[in-house]
Amino acid sequence: MEFGIQTIKELLSGYQKKQFKPSEVIGAYLTNISERDEKINSFLQVRIEESLGRAKRLDEKMCEAETLPLFGIPIAIKDNFLVSGWQATAGSKILSGYVSPYTATSVERLEAMGAIVIGKVNCDEFAMGSSNENSAFGNVRNPWDLERVPGGSSGGSAAAVAAGFASVSLGTDTGGSIRQPASLCGLVGLKPSYGRVSRYGVISYASSLDQVGPFSRTVWDSARVLEVMAGFDDRDATSSKRSVPKYTEELKNISEKKFTLGVSRKWLEGVDPDVAKSFEAGLEMFKKAGGKIIEIDLPHARYALSTYYLLATSEASSNLARYDGVHYGYRTQSATTSEELYSRSRGEGFGREVKLRIMLGTYALSAGYYDAFYLKANQVRKKIQEDFEKAFTQCDFVVAPTSPSTAFKLGEKTDDPLKMYLSDIFTLPVNLAGLPGLSIPCGLDSKNLPIGFQLIGKPFGESVLFEAAQQFEALRGEFPLPGFLEGACRR
Amino acid sequence: MLNREEVLKIAKLARLTLTEEEIGFYQKQLTRVLGHIQDLNQVPTGTTAFVQHIPSDAEPFRKDDAEPFPSPLDLMKNAPSVENNSFLLPTIVEHS
Repeated sequence: MEFGIQTIKELLSGYQKKQFKPSEVIGAYLTNISERDEKINSFLQVRIEESLGRAKRLDEKMCEAETLPLFGIPIAIKDNFLVSGWQATAGSKILSGYVSPYTATSVERLEAMGAIVIGKVNCDEFAMGSSNENSAFGNVRNPWDLERVPGGSSGGSAAAVAAGFASVSLGTDTGGSIRQPASLCGLVGLKPSYGRVSRYGVISYASSLDQVGPFSRTVWDSARVLEVMAGFDDRDATSSKRSVPKYTEELKNISEKKFTLGVSRKWLEGVDPDVAKSFEAGLEMFKKAGGKIIEIDLPHARYALSTYYLLATSEASSNLARYDGVHYGYRTQSATTSEELYSRSRGEGFGREVKLRIMLGTYALSAGYYDAFYLKANQVRKKIQEDFEKAFTQCDFVVAPTSPSTAFKLGEKTDDPLKMYLSDIFTLPVNLAGLPGLSIPCGLDSKNLPIGFQLIGKPFGESVLFEAAQQFEALRGEFPLPGFLEGACRR
Repeated sequence: MLNREEVLKIAKLARLTLTEEEIGFYQKQLTRVLGHIQDLNQVPTGTTAFVQHIPSDAEPFRKDDAEPFPSPLDLMKNAPSVENNSFLLPTIVEHS
């Protein structure tokens, strides 16, 4: 038996039937990483002894495969989550040497239910980027085409699952950082509603927008990870007290509901023709299931990019003020005063894009500009949220392609920040409005690269979002695997 | 276009030391992004309120009970420089 592309559901079934043990599965995934990650550069840390030790302990308790919802599931974690005793870099030199003194709530909950964290994966520095080219630890390559980006900022999380190095992974999504790489790597990527998953132990970028979510091969797997890690946490003052449904129970049968999907044609102008074609084919699939497509208006969605880059950078300039070379992480060798120590440690420790965003945020919050930038952007954010509220009086979901293009070449957009930022035009408004969004693979372009279809739901409407996505998945059929996996593993 | 002094002022506020090459680079990049952001001025917002991004059932004002961190020594292990269980920094006030 070879492993690499099994879903949570398949692994649990195999464990329950005693076809294999956790140590065999974890061992196989670790071998995949050691033999093949050199080409992808997705892992920053792999915990061989620790994860094999945990797997062997589970070998002795095979009956728990019936009760633990993530029994023996190999999972990779973006390197902006804290795991006690492990290094956390957030893709930055400024955190060099930092060892986490505690564990993020989301990771703690997954581990308590049997998941085995096999390692931590690469990402854009402090989750700022759309291509994973802003990591201090090198680019991540897309398993569908090694000359192309996996998307970002959770590029390592996406590439690791697509390449068969983990069954599922965790990422964070502030403006599209789960959904866009999921789209570019042919996976299901979920950004839950703001407040659904605790952010405790996740390195902050923009606190009013950041949210934790899973990458997986199937909708069912996404639902399983969410139901385990979601829910109130008194260590995150923004986490919701709403009860967490048993999402997978609700997915036992393929839904026969006839959904109404809202499309804003004006918003979709300028999309790559292959993406547009695949998106239309996706709409047709919902129609086949009896669904209805209606035209909606999102008049302020076009302002999401500006709104996001003012608010996210303002929050980042404050959140990242803590990296000063005093208490942890990188410290310059050339300072003679405290003032020099702060600014030189920061100047030398942060990468190019992070410094750009800190300065943008500092500018937006500085005296004389606050009203024109920060206040204005907050008001436009409200307008964007109201657009969605209005749309949801007419439809069950708002839909759009996840990204306007498929995976682009490494280096193609690094010179122009705006070009790069435009990769996220369909995902940014979802974070600004605090809504759940799910990207599901819907087709391949002429270069054989995956395309994602995005379903945007009402606040805390994850149940019905999964229901519709699973309906779509059933109609679409099995999605192809990247060339990187050919001959590497089989079901 | 933002001038050199404006970039240096922002960098000072942000506590970032920039190299000569970076000053020119950020002059261009900040100008490019700030130019785009001007499109927000087209949106009439009047007295529009802010978004309440925190869920209504969250508890932002929970009790602020202080608890000792279970392993303070682990925190100190991350420090770049320590002396007598304290974070060591360059001199702030010179002896006269």
